[in-house]
Amino acid sequence: MARIEVEGVRKVFGSQEALRAVSLEVRDREFTVLLGPSGCGKTTLLRIIAGLETETAGVVRIGDRVVTGLPPRARKIAMVFQNYAVFPHMTVFENVAFGLRMRKAPAAEVDRRVREAAQLTHIDPLLARYPAQLSGGQRQRVAVARALAVEPEVLLMYEPLSNLDALLRLEMRAELKGLLQASRTTTIYVTHDQVEAMSLADRIAVMDAGEIVQYASPLAVYQDPASTFVGRFIGSPPMNFLAVAVTGTGADAAARVGDDRMPAPAGLPARAVLGVRPEDLEVASAADAGTLGGRVQLVEPLGPHLQLTVAVGDQTLRVTAPPHTAVQPGTTVRLRLRTERVRWFDADSGRALAVGGAAGSA
Amino acid sequence: MRRRLTPHVLAGLASAAVLVPIYLIALSALSARGEVSAWPKALLPRALSLETLTFFFGVRGVWLALGQSLVVAALTVVFAILLGAPAGYALARFRFAGKDAVRLVVLLTRAFPIAILTLPLAVRFIRLGLYDTPLGVALVHTALALPFAILVTASLFLGIPVELEEAAWTLGCTRPAAFRRIVLPLALPGLTAAAIFAFVISWNEVFAASILTLRHRTLTAYLLAGLNESPLYFRFAGGFFLIVPSLIFIFAVRRYLFSMWGIARR
Repeated sequence: MARIEVEGVRKVFGSQEALRAVSLEVRDREFTVLLGPSGCGKTTLLRIIAGLETETAGVVRIGDRVVTGLPPRARKIAMVFQNYAVFPHMTVFENVAFGLRMRKAPAAEVDRRVREAAQLTHIDPLLARYPAQLSGGQRQRVAVARALAVEPEVLLMYEPLSNLDALLRLEMRAELKGLLQASRTTTIYVTHDQVEAMSLADRIAVMDAGEIVQYASPLAVYQDPASTFVGRFIGSPPMNFLAVAVTGTGADAAARVGDDRMPAPAGLPARAVLGVRPEDLEVASAADAGTLGGRVQLVEPLGPHLQLTVAVGDQTLRVTAPPHTAVQPGTTVRLRLRTERVRWFDADSGRALAVGGAAGSA
Repeated sequence: MRRRLTPHVLAGLASAAVLVPIYLIALSALSARGEVSAWPKALLPRALSLETLTFFFGVRGVWLALGQSLVVAALTVVFAILLGAPAGYALARFRFAGKDAVRLVVLLTRAFPIAILTLPLAVRFIRLGLYDTPLGVALVHTALALPFAILVTASLFLGIPVELEEAAWTLGCTRPAAFRRIVLPLALPGLTAAAIFAFVISWNEVFAASILTLRHRTLTAYLLAGLNESPLYFRFAGGFFLIVPSLIFIFAVRRYLFSMWGIARR
């Protein structure tokens, strides 16, 4: 158990800056997910914390101990890898026991801790087998057991589920969540899968281009994205963004899209971007004030709901509608926005504007 | 049917190209002396006889040359692996300036005709006192085997996921410990293969061995030196004896190689 502190860590590969002065704090027993598209620096950050990569500048602390410059073995960490990295020439038992044996733990303790970890990960019937005789899911369990057996201060997981097929991934995700809740180990988990991040994390650090752009709870990241990038990256389909022209400044402020006017908070610049999640749009029955007109381009019945693609002027909105909504492609509809869920962004930088309801929590 | 047959026919032809000469050599070596010049040739031995081989081993100098060959080959194996494997590991695991150049230059050493190299080497070896010693020959053979050893071990280490090593580091291993406990066991079949090939390269090499030795000849050099004076059956016996160790070696480790590679590749 330990907290992790990353302070101003930079990493330069040749002429490329993979991390630009990243700072991150993970509380004791917290589960933090590093989330971002490939090339955003999440892998590099995790490897620097593990000691597998050397930072160009900055400091890493694990449990208030500066570990900068220490080799991985001296950092009291354990790591789970994407391709499991289970040692093929050792039995499952020896794999799980490996870290304990390296510490020269007494045989009785090795046996006890291996069996504990195996029970926790449901691999106790497999202890005598070789990895070649295991399925992908079983191998990943062995890797997790091997990491837990050494009772690390910090558990680092690198895309541990992405080599599994979709169904197994779902199952393992739930299992992993239960497991890590039980073990209460401080964990950093790297993934590019936003659903995985949402379901597992206490806090998500969303990364883009070598920076952490938002670090907050899954719900906060979802509802109050710090930028249009975060809103687009998290959520499927992503958050809708509409470029609007703002008129008025006080109580009469309004955002205009084409001929439609929507209420807007005070203090917006003349040009802004409105962000709204697909489920926070609803098909209105009448052309009430504050609704938005558009033409239905596509209707996708997905079972629990309909996915509508609606053109508003030359912009496109995705709408999640109840399954029996009567809409036809090619017809015009009015859309009502749930005002309290609408977020505002700067038209140029894409950053969230601290106006209106819940904005600014990032 | 036709599609399935073609590979078999081709495989059969390729095998025959290798096996028929070996068979003919073995046939002559294992027959009585007179059979060698008999015509038409019998495809089955009329009478198995150790007479030819017995004669071969009775000739003065054969045992000494055999011993020299073994010593030289063993030294070559040790040098080629001890120098080649670390180089291969470095090529596989580290990024460094001039890596591609190293890869190429390593191969270029094989582009030098051994004939050009050997004479200056003989002069140098005489000065250094390496002339006519197993060590001297082994050094040249190491130079011949090294490019192979480096490139084979490099691809071998590349085939072992670096994550296995990294996992070992995070679990308490130093770099050398991780190499010994994780990489080495997985690389062993490949290293064995590289060692065997180094052995065979040395065992079969004749030119440098002939120039660089006088009295302490390796078997190939010994046989070559006496080629013109020796009777036909003697040559067959010598040829047979040169082939056999290579065949046995590769055959013996064949299954080991296959099975261990199967696991290592997973």
